[in-house]
Parts: sequence; structure tokens; C-alpha cells
Amino acid sequence: MTPFELAEPLTVADALRFLDPDDSTVRPLGGGTALMLMMKAGVFRPTRLVSLRRIASLSRITALPDGGLVIGALTPLSDVEHSTEVARRAGVIVRTMRRLSNVRVRNVATIGGCLAHGDPHMDLPPVLMALDASIAVAGRTGKRTLKVENLFAGYYETVLKRDEIITELHIPAQGGRRAAYLKCTTGSADDWPALGVAVSFEAEGSAISAPRVVVSAATEKATRLNGAEAVLSGATIDDALLARAGDAAADEAETISDVRGSAPYKRELLRVYVRRAVRQAFEAERPLSSPPPLAREGREGAQGGAH
Amino acid sequence: MPSATMNPTPSPPALAAEGRVATGPQVGRSLPRLEAREKVTGRAEYTHNLRLPGMLYGKVVRSTIAHGRIRSIDASAAKAVPGVYQVVAGEDVIKVIPHPYYGPAFHDQPILAIGKVHYVGEPIAVVLAEDPHVAETAATLVVAEYEELPAVYDELEAAQNRVLVHDELKPAGTFADLKHLKGVRGTNIALDYQLRKGDVEKAFAEAAHVFEHEFRTQKVLHLAFEPFVSIADYKGDRLTLYTASQGPSFVRIEIARLLGWPENRVRVKVPFLGGGYGGKLYIKLEALVTALSMIAKRPVKVSLPMEEVFYTITRHPMTFRIKSGVDEHGRITARRCEVFWNGGAYADIGPRVAQKSGFTASGPYDIENVSIDSYALYTNQPPAGALRGFGVPQLVWAYESHTDMMARALRIDPLEFRRRNITREGGRHATGTPLEDAAVEKVLEHVAARMNWSKPFDRGTGAVRRGRGLAIAIKAVISPTTSVAIVNVNADGSTTLYCGTVDMGQGSDTAMAQIVGEILNIPAESVNVVPRDTDVTPYDMGTLGSRSLFHMGHAVKRAAEEARDKIASLARELGLPKGSNYSVADLFQKKYGMQAGNIVGAGVYKPDYVPPQPGTGLTPNVTPFWMVSGVGAEVEVDTETGHVRVTRLLNVCDIGRPINPKICESQISGAATMQLGFTMFEKMHFDGGQVTNASLADYKIPGFHDLPAAFENETVEAYQSNGPFGGKGVGEVATFCVSPAIGNAIDDAVGVRLTELPLNPEAVLRALRAKENRPLEDA
Repeated sequence: MTPFELAEPLTVADALRFLDPDDSTVRPLGGGTALMLMMKAGVFRPTRLVSLRRIASLSRITALPDGGLVIGALTPLSDVEHSTEVARRAGVIVRTMRRLSNVRVRNVATIGGCLAHGDPHMDLPPVLMALDASIAVAGRTGKRTLKVENLFAGYYETVLKRDEIITELHIPAQGGRRAAYLKCTTGSADDWPALGVAVSFEAEGSAISAPRVVVSAATEKATRLNGAEAVLSGATIDDALLARAGDAAADEAETISDVRGSAPYKRELLRVYVRRAVRQAFEAERPLSSPPPLAREGREGAQGGAH
Repeated sequence: MPSATMNPTPSPPALAAEGRVATGPQVGRSLPRLEAREKVTGRAEYTHNLRLPGMLYGKVVRSTIAHGRIRSIDASAAKAVPGVYQVVAGEDVIKVIPHPYYGPAFHDQPILAIGKVHYVGEPIAVVLAEDPHVAETAATLVVAEYEELPAVYDELEAAQNRVLVHDELKPAGTFADLKHLKGVRGTNIALDYQLRKGDVEKAFAEAAHVFEHEFRTQKVLHLAFEPFVSIADYKGDRLTLYTASQGPSFVRIEIARLLGWPENRVRVKVPFLGGGYGGKLYIKLEALVTALSMIAKRPVKVSLPMEEVFYTITRHPMTFRIKSGVDEHGRITARRCEVFWNGGAYADIGPRVAQKSGFTASGPYDIENVSIDSYALYTNQPPAGALRGFGVPQLVWAYESHTDMMARALRIDPLEFRRRNITREGGRHATGTPLEDAAVEKVLEHVAARMNWSKPFDRGTGAVRRGRGLAIAIKAVISPTTSVAIVNVNADGSTTLYCGTVDMGQGSDTAMAQIVGEILNIPAESVNVVPRDTDVTPYDMGTLGSRSLFHMGHAVKRAAEEARDKIASLARELGLPKGSNYSVADLFQKKYGMQAGNIVGAGVYKPDYVPPQPGTGLTPNVTPFWMVSGVGAEVEVDTETGHVRVTRLLNVCDIGRPINPKICESQISGAATMQLGFTMFEKMHFDGGQVTNASLADYKIPGFHDLPAAFENETVEAYQSNGPFGGKGVGEVATFCVSPAIGNAIDDAVGVRLTELPLNPEAVLRALRAKENRPLEDA
């Protein structure tokens, strides 16, 4: 890679001044784990990187009185992984971390970076969408708030402007909602996923309400599956319902072919994984008084366990 | 090397103080590797760390098309980049090396493309600069224009000779069986090997059952963690190469040939390698940096990023058509093998793969009538060469899948079917060479016993089904080849070993030191193994094909024995009684009146060999030893997603007597793990000749989470009678059977047969769906 300028501002305001709305070779740098790969491949040749690492105010985890969480955008993934507050309030995030890349990456990569990068293969964006999280964005003209589900515009594309920075992630109180994320790899166990499925819903006995179902990796961008959600919404969980939800997801998602699998294959995976993810969320976070679990079926995430 | 030399070997007393010396027998010790401390403390020397004064960095510009004539190469924009020293293309190379074509079997590969390009990624130019970043930036500005020609990628299509990769074949002249191809036009076939034994057609006609299947393997590559790197320092009448090579002697011979020089003006220095696996054999970057240094008149270094390794050398994809006749007793009476090796754009060592592995295509089976045709083919893909197993893992994938398919069709247990057909000790291989010290039966029975094959097996429930499979195989070592070693006993009695075997991580320095220690009755730790340097270390054919422990082991043993005998005769010459307790240092002191002198022992080893008869391939002595291994695998198949989890992998090998049991075990587990990746998911994906996953981000190799829960690596009690201390090679033997054992286990679990690697989840699910008559739509 060719030499470039590295700016290390101490405040968000200074960072914004180093960015350039008209120059695609100037970008903010979080942990850099994804950007460095692009630079090594020659896909991205920066003239200036604006490192946000020295902005201390951006790497805190705050537990809100209402049960929500605010996580600074520069918080390393491993800090989130090991936070007891995160474990208590949004356990699915901690479970997702165990198979998210590897410990070296998690120690460096940041929670804001994995959103701003716009890579559909990232594990956390679908989970955060399922949790109805939102982000705070700072720009030269002021601040704005954005739902994570409205962040992604396409393959490696977000709605962020070149001179905007994600400063915070807000995860609303989950109450009694249950959630799961399943990652499916088709290469090595630590490969990028061929498919990610995140779900979250409320359950009263066997009745499901307010479901959120998100597909990632197999599609151009992390996407909510409204059809599958409609099937689940207000329904009573049983094998037939899960099968219908999987079918609805498979009908709805526009899967794409790549080295990790063909579009038709990923559609079949989605059919199975939506079913398994809902089942797992229902069972894993089932209150003690709930009805007995459904009949077991295929093991989740065959290449290394489920989350 | 100017940067750093190997740490001097600590003296035995110093080692004894650390409790690291073991006296007594050295062979059979699980001695930790001699260089382990250097490596884990970051002090070991690698070519990547070396910088010479005044050195330039070269960045390679590569072809973007698979086949075409070069119309023009415009380097003006690159040359205008501040800091660029020079941009070099094929026409510049010809000015310093008039015939710049190299290769071990064919002189077909140009240092930089001349006139035509033959694959995407072929080097067409190099930008030189003092700053590697400048070279890299400028390289993106070199613009080439081509007249595109039709390309051929598939080996079966290439065999049709409709699209021709090369206009004319140029065998190197070193191999007798390639001479008839000199100047031949109109073909892509770089070798057509034949074996003929008995009459297969007659036997097929008489057989109770005839089975015919076709198998394929994908393109994969070595991916040593140290990518290719070479430095040349040309000084008018001398050339020094620093290179990550598995074959320094070959590099010296081939570079001297290109330059028209005697060998002694070319020096090749090779420190430790960060892995080789067959990729770093023959010429890779060495000829290129030589030409660049001659042109620039400065030292030049080229080190490839991992992404460019994908365009340098790979394993052979293969199509294998196999047909067997079986009698009413379940005995195989005839086998015809047609093997098509996809060698890519340049032959490299492909023709040797086609022959030296091709002749084992009928497997470890006692079959009366055998016919083998093995074709090395040119295609417009990146070149293919040696990769841990030298073609045998691809062959075994086919013939051991075929074995199970026949057993299932005949309703004979796969173990029992093999028992009826294997060649037993003293029987003859298809070439006519006796199978001696080849524990085929022992390995098979060991696998069967450890797998509890006769006991009932849990087949799983619901979506997850369980199955098990086994496989067995043999390989010959490439022959005949030569190794030379020198043992130098210094005046204080300390000992230095000079041998050209390259320690690329397999632990050869340690094993060779153990052999010296055993003969001279000194601790192996006290032996200084000199890093490879062709000005110092004598000839060796190459660190390849599991040959080093056997061939170099013999040479080292002979050199040590000669030194030992010379010490004994010195003692006699000095009038000392036999068995006197004078130390070696005392002898030198007595002889020279001071601490002075050396005793030098030399050893040479070249095994006996009888060349195969032309046309039939028959010979009574095709190899000095056989490698034998078997695998038992247990799998769980997720029938809804196609995911296969290998829950148990049992590797059983005949490696003779292990010189260093611990290192042997890690060779077995390492080879099996590598093969597990090639079996389950590794694959180079192509689009119009372009690799679409040419990076470690998109081409994944196994990690710890991919290892089977039960991963057992075992050897059978064995002794190679003609081997050094009963030993033989171990680097490749555990690669052979992994793929078919897993493929057979999948069939056992869910009743589908995959005939193409890798056995990835999509392939499994597609096969399951096809069987259920609700096929998945095409991609």
C-alpha cells in the first residue's frame, strides 16, 4: 500500500474538520480491521485517514435507567463482549461475539466501524437491527439520529455522508424480548458467513408478537424480512408455523451468488435458519414457567455451534 | 547472509547445564526441534527480513487476460512516477539472457512474457524502485494491450487439442520419456504416460461385474505462510541468490544454465522457510530477480504479497476415469485408469506428477490386468506443480471412492472388499515392483480395529445422520534421486553437518542431527547444521516427495560413518589401543600438537532403480520404498443444510521406524489437516481465467475450530529394511486417504455419492436433493 496522511484528532469536532465531503480518498478510521484489508487489496487507496481512536468520549458503555444501553462508537468489540451490562440487557450480542471473526479482530474492531463499513457479511448489524437499535451521527451541520435498519443503502454502502461520523449506538430496553443470531459458514469455521439470521420477538406462552427477522450476508445488505415477520406476528409457535416463516423468508429475500454459495442454495439455508433461529430464541431464553421445548431437530450452525 | 547468521550452536557443556542434552541413543528420541527457540523468539532468519545495500524492490505487473498476443506494453506513466528506477519487460530480459525460458521438465516458462501471455496473472513487466511503495504505485500505471485468443481451462477440453496453449513443445531434455515431445506442435499433452499389464479388455469381457466412474478434483494451492521471496545480487562474474527455495541445488543448476555459466559462479543461500509444501520447488522468482539484477546492476528483491501467490503455483486439478471388472467372488480382475492432469500454462513438474504418481493410479490392490493412461495437460490457468502428495491425494480420492461404490453395489462390506483385494507383503505392485516393507494389510487392520468396524454404529436421528468410511493407499517415492552430505569434526571434537535438505518447518535439521549424533555417539543438540548455501552445502536433488529422511538420511549416515572411521584410524595411526578413552579433541592435540585440523566425512546416496519399459511402464524396481496410509472417518451430516461435521478422523501410517516420533506425529496431523481443507471447502474460484477469491479473506484454510473432535494420528509398528535406521519419509503419507474416507462416510450416512471435491455443504445438499427428486435449481 502507498503512504498516506494519518490524522489523530482528540475531539469529534476536530475529526469532522479533517474529513472532506468531496473526496472519497479521505475516510474515518476506527479499528481499521476492514479498511486495512481493502487497502491491502488495492480497492481503497487513501490520501488521508482520520483515526477516531484518540477521542476518549467515544468508547464508553452506559447502562440507561430505562433498561437501554448506549455504546460509544469507538468501543472495541471485545469490551462489548465482556460487558456485564450488555450481557444482562442484550445477551444475544455477547453470544454473537463468540464466533465473530477472531479474538485479535475483536480486540481492535469497533462497534461503530462494523456499522459504518456497510459490509453485509458483518455479524452485528443484523443483530442490532433485530434489537431495533439506532445510532447518533455527527456532521458539520449538526447531529442526527438514525435507526440501524435505515443505515444500509446497498452493498458496502450506507446513507452516511463522507463528512459524517457515527458517535453512539443506542439499544433500547428489550424487556422480555427473546433474540437469537445464527451464523452459517460454508468454508472454514472462521470464514465470513454465507448467511446470517437475527431474530427478536416477544413471547407470551407460545404466542409470538412484535417479531423482527433480519437476513444478512446472503443478501446485498442486511435486510428485515417483513413477510416472515407477518407470518410470525400474533401466531402460536409450532413446527408448522416455523416452516411457514422459513418459507416466507426464502420467498422474500433476494440472495446473491458468490464463492460461499449459489443464490438458490442460500435461499434453502435461509429457509432452515429462520426456522432454527426462531426456535432457538424461543427455547434459549424461555422463562422457567413456559411449556416444554419443541421436538429437537437439526443442530444449529453445523460448523461450530449456535448462538 | 549480511543480516544475521544462525546462532552458533551452544557447546555441549552449556546445554548440559540447561538440562537439554541427552546422551546415549539419538535415533528414536522425541527431541524438540533444534531451531524452536530461535523461531519462537523471532530470531530465526528468513529471506523476507534480508535487505542488501543498494537493493531495489521489484513489483510485478501481471496479465489481465488468459490467452493472447501482447500488442504493446506502455510503461511511460509508470516511469514518470518519482522514485521509479526502471520498468523491465520481456524484451529487456532477452538482452541479458538470450533464451530466458526455464522449467524442470520443459523449458517453456519465460522470465517475463514474450510475445504471448498464457494465463491471467502471468508476469509481463516489473517496476523497480528503491521504495517498494513507489514500485507498487507505479505498477498500477503500466498499461498492456493484447490481441485476445481463445482460452482453454478444463483438462478434458484441453485434451481435445482444439484450443492450443503453446505453439510448440519444448522438453528440457533431462527426462528420457519426454524426448519424443521435442518440437511437437498441435497438442496440449505434455506427457502421455502408459502402464500395461495383462489384458484389461479381455478381463472386462469375462468379469461378473464391471463398474465405471469419473471423479474430479478442484484447484487448490499450498499457501505457505511465507509467500515467495527471492533476492539476486549480480556482480558481473558472480551471482548470489537469497531465496525461499526447497531446492537450492536445482536453482543453482538452472540459473547457471540460463546464464551459460559454470555452477560455481552461482551461489544460492536458503535460510529457514516459512513452509513450502512443494510450492517452493524449481524456479519461482529466482530467474526473474537474476534478470532484474543483471539489468539494474544492483541487488533486486521481489517478495510477493499473499494475493499474488494464487498466480504462481497450485495443485493439479484432475479428472480420473476409472473402470474395474470384478469376479463372482468379489475379486477385482481388471482396472483401467485414465487420468487427466490440469497442469496450467506451464509444465513445471506436472509431467513428473503425471508419471511418478500416475503409475500408482490402480491403488494398493492386487489386480491381474491393469491399464493406466496418465496425461499432463496444458491449460490457460495458473501453473500447477508439486503439492504435498504429488498427485496421489487426487488419485486416491478417485480410486478409494470407486472401491466403496463397488463394495456397496456388490453388497460387500467395504472393509471386507478391501481385504479380498489388497496386495499383501511380498506381492507385486501393478508395475511389477514387489511391495516390500509396505504395511498395507497391517494399516488396514489397524484402521478397522480402532474404528470398531465390526461393532454396531449410531446412525443419528432427525435431520442429523451419522456415517463412517475408510480408505487405504500407497505412494512411491520419486526415483532415482541423489543426496550428498558432509560431516566435519572440528579439532575440539564438535561436529558440523553440511546438507542441502531445506528445513521448511518439517524438522529435518533435527532429524539429520540425530542421525549424526547416533553414529558419532554425541548429543544431537551439539551438532551444528549449516544453513543451506550451495557454496558450502553439497548437492541434493531437493526437499520434496518425502525423500529427505530416506535419501539425505542415508547420505548423512554415511558421512558420519566415514568420519567415525577416520577418527578410529587416526587413533590407530597414533598407536592408541582399541577402546582407549582418548577424546576426539585429545586425538587432534596429539596429532597436530595443538588444537588444529579437521576430520571430514562425506556420504552419497542414490538408490537402485530400473527404468520402466517404454509402452508398458513395467519395472522390477520403481521405488526404493513405499508410503502406506489409511484413514477412518466418522461424520455427521445435516440433511437440511448439507453441512458435514467430521467428528472423528483416524490417520494410520506406515512410516518405518520413526527417527523422531514427536516430529513424525506433527507431520501426520499437519498433513491430514491440510488435506481436510482440500477435502471440505478449499477451492480457487475462477471467472474467465481470473481467480475470484485470491486472498486469505476469501480463500480459507482450516483453523482450530475445523479440526475433528477426535483427531487420532497413529503409526503401525514397522521397519524399512533399506532405510536409515529403519526409517522412511513421512511428510506426505497422511494426505492420501482423508478425502475418500470422508466421502465414503457421507455416503454411509445419507446415501449420496459425491464425485468432485470439495465436499462443501452446497455440494452435499444438492446431491441429497437430487436423490430425493427435488433438485435445487442451478446457480
